[in-house]
Amino acid sequence: MKHQHFPPVPVTIVSGFLGAGKTTLLNKILNSDIGLRMAVMVNDFGAINIGRDLIVSETQTMVSLANGCICCTVESDLMEQVSRLLALREQRPEYILIEASGVSNPSKIAGTLRYPQFQDQLVIDSVLTVIDAEQFDQLEGELAALAMEQLDIADIVVLNKCDLASPAQVRAMKQRWLYPGVRLLEARFGEVPLELVLGVGAFDPVRLESSHECGAHCTHADHAHQFESWSWSSDRPLSLAALRRVLESLPSSVYRAKGICCLAELPDRRAVLHLVGSRSELEPGAPWAEDQPMSRVVVIGERGQLSLPQLEAAFEGCVA
Amino acid sequence: MDVSRHYLSSNTRPSAATAELVLTNGRFYTVDDATPWADAVAISQGRFIAVGSADQVAAHIGEHTRVVDLGGRFVMPGLYDMHTHPDLALAPGYAGYLDVGLEDPTPEQVSQAILSYADQHPGDGWIYGAYFVRYTFKQAGIVPDRAWLDSIVSDRPVAILDRSWGCMLVNSMALELAAIDVNTPDPRHGYIERDGITGEPTGILVDGAYAMIHAAMPPTPAHALQRAYREGVQFQSGRGVVGTKFVHVCEHRLDALRTIDQQGQLTVRVEAAISWQDDIFPVKRRWELIAGERHFYRSARLNANAVKFHFDGTHESRSSYLSTPWAEGSAWRGHLNLTPEHINDMVADMDRKGIRVIAHCTGDGASDLFLDAVAEARRRNGGQGMRHQCAHSTTLLDANLQRFSELDVIAEFSPVGWFPSSFAYARAVFGEERMQRAYNFKGVLDAGGVAVMGTDWPVSSLDPWIGFEAMVTRENPWEETDASFYGEPISLEQAIRVMTINGAWAMGIEHQAGSISVGKSADLIVLDRNLFEVAPRGNIHATQVDLTMLEGEFVWDAQGEFSGTVREAVWQRDIPEF
Repeated sequence: MKHQHFPPVPVTIVSGFLGAGKTTLLNKILNSDIGLRMAVMVNDFGAINIGRDLIVSETQTMVSLANGCICCTVESDLMEQVSRLLALREQRPEYILIEASGVSNPSKIAGTLRYPQFQDQLVIDSVLTVIDAEQFDQLEGELAALAMEQLDIADIVVLNKCDLASPAQVRAMKQRWLYPGVRLLEARFGEVPLELVLGVGAFDPVRLESSHECGAHCTHADHAHQFESWSWSSDRPLSLAALRRVLESLPSSVYRAKGICCLAELPDRRAVLHLVGSRSELEPGAPWAEDQPMSRVVVIGERGQLSLPQLEAAFEGCVA
Repeated sequence: MDVSRHYLSSNTRPSAATAELVLTNGRFYTVDDATPWADAVAISQGRFIAVGSADQVAAHIGEHTRVVDLGGRFVMPGLYDMHTHPDLALAPGYAGYLDVGLEDPTPEQVSQAILSYADQHPGDGWIYGAYFVRYTFKQAGIVPDRAWLDSIVSDRPVAILDRSWGCMLVNSMALELAAIDVNTPDPRHGYIERDGITGEPTGILVDGAYAMIHAAMPPTPAHALQRAYREGVQFQSGRGVVGTKFVHVCEHRLDALRTIDQQGQLTVRVEAAISWQDDIFPVKRRWELIAGERHFYRSARLNANAVKFHFDGTHESRSSYLSTPWAEGSAWRGHLNLTPEHINDMVADMDRKGIRVIAHCTGDGASDLFLDAVAEARRRNGGQGMRHQCAHSTTLLDANLQRFSELDVIAEFSPVGWFPSSFAYARAVFGEERMQRAYNFKGVLDAGGVAVMGTDWPVSSLDPWIGFEAMVTRENPWEETDASFYGEPISLEQAIRVMTINGAWAMGIEHQAGSISVGKSADLIVLDRNLFEVAPRGNIHATQVDLTMLEGEFVWDAQGEFSGTVREAVWQRDIPEF
């Protein structure tokens, strides 16, 4: 049975070795007001530090929080557990965040969530891999193979504990492990900006760009100062191949992009663009019907690092 | 009728009282309550014609009888390994598939390996093998897709597995031969990666989608299957096994077993169970085999009168089907691959056909439902019918122990996980309470049921002696730890029965094999130690098998005692190392 009346629930997977800093990120989400009913699947409650005053109720495997989040341990078959979350009535999550255990292969998790059983129910928003700058360069054998899986599946790589590693270590790490087009965010103390983790709700790039202005009550901490957005629109159809080339070669300062495109190859319906870090996806969306076909793309990148004329020229070059 | 089975093409019949072979001066533990111990046996036409004292047996020595002095060695019936897979363990490695052979191959190295394999294996056949690493493609800025693979080889099908088995990369011709295109629905438990806009397959297949490629590929080559089985039975004979079940076969596997049988190298009695599902390999002739084609393979050493299916999952993925939820506060009880109704009808139907059903049941809920299905088959068909087999039986409900005996169901314990080791403790995810009942040989035996063991190789070692020892000790055979495993040990006498006569019962041949008894098939093993005179721990598993005899013929001779004689063993001196 498909739940057509619910939009697909976005999922973020956070991978990384034990001690890399995943828990700090999870704590930050669980302890802040993010305006979304989130389900956070963690490996171990013990490692998570949830403010006692936030806890509404708890069982051995699930904690409900005042901010609408639920936190559960990854205790059984992943498919079954995700299905159960999706079947919740009142607490059906609007977002699912999965912590991949330090020893599990995140590609397998992402693969499983793309099974046909979950089509129309889940969409992988992003995969973040947190790596410890100091520890990462010493990996060998099976651990090195697992590190490759983590980096391969990553949309965004968070290089954590930069302050603890020497510049030489960081250089050596980058030399050995990074790849072209990598989105690398250097962080300390696991401080990861939430707009990189979450692509919807208060952090929806479209909303960020169009309506949000940081005021005195803004809960987004410093995100607005770290990132900026740029948008582009056109009423002429775009070439699919050209658009793909542009998306693949966007500068690494671009972290997210969202949009609706009008493609020459798909004249009758919208093409929905979703870009997170080094991964972009274009999928058919709703028919244009009576609406005027039009492309509109919002790009979010590091403040001061986006070359607006270059972006403008690149997207203009997609016009078929 | 029974006499004519052993007719000789001669006008003079030897006296039934005269033995061809007498083994004397041994310590025979017979597993026959009428004569538990004997000093000698007389063998004629593959059967024991006398078992008893040296004097009693001497009466059967004639002019042409070969008399062998065993020098006081310990002798017992041959062993039975009731669940194992030499084909799965060895055949892929012998198939000659592409092996890139590097730890972290770059795209360039993968490409070179494919091209050189194509050179060495000219023609239009499949290039199938392992492995590529997606990450190295990312580093090189290359997308691993069918276009990349087509640019290397486009005129024959190519399929390369990812290192971690996360996906398979195939070229356009492979997709075409597997009939995978824009309209192909995704399989269960997997998917065909597609272009987001056009829906065209990209060439990356995930999990369940591999089966579509395997179904299009030629089966594992006959030479690889034959070599796998040949080496498997050679090892088994060398370790004293005389009866085994190769659980999961298809028509090609049966062909391989038949070839070895015809070459006189099937030195173990084999019950081969036809795969009920296509989850391990496709079985294209399943229904023909079940309808009767299986009899084509039948011989004294080989039968395919069994089917095997995966009823539930495994402890690793926590998909074993349990009688109560896996964890407190959760509803998850595990997964059944087939509905209970399917099993009910199928067991009743197979039962009527005289086909044994071997059901993979790791969780105590799966075995509960399987026992229900057997009860239903008994109700529908009347009588006791076939003995069906509950495979693995990792954890059983106490309330079901009695039912194994009532319903004549074989309680098969495998793999060998009943001694302390990280391998065994991986099952502790079942929870403390359930682990107390793990691998409950004693519970089944005390309730009057028949328990057998299986090595389930390659899941645990093909050597049956490790599990044999651990049944008696519940301790680590190599003394890596002093801990005892969950559950209670059984006595040496009980363990010997589990390894011998119970196995024969599980193959439906207990009236003609499984003990050293007059009239039964002359199957025995001569050992380097008397199991009753050594401390079980650290000793039983290290037992050396000097001689293995099946139907009066030496199939294994460790020292070459009969080398160059008419009694030369099929296998001697060397045992394969895996």
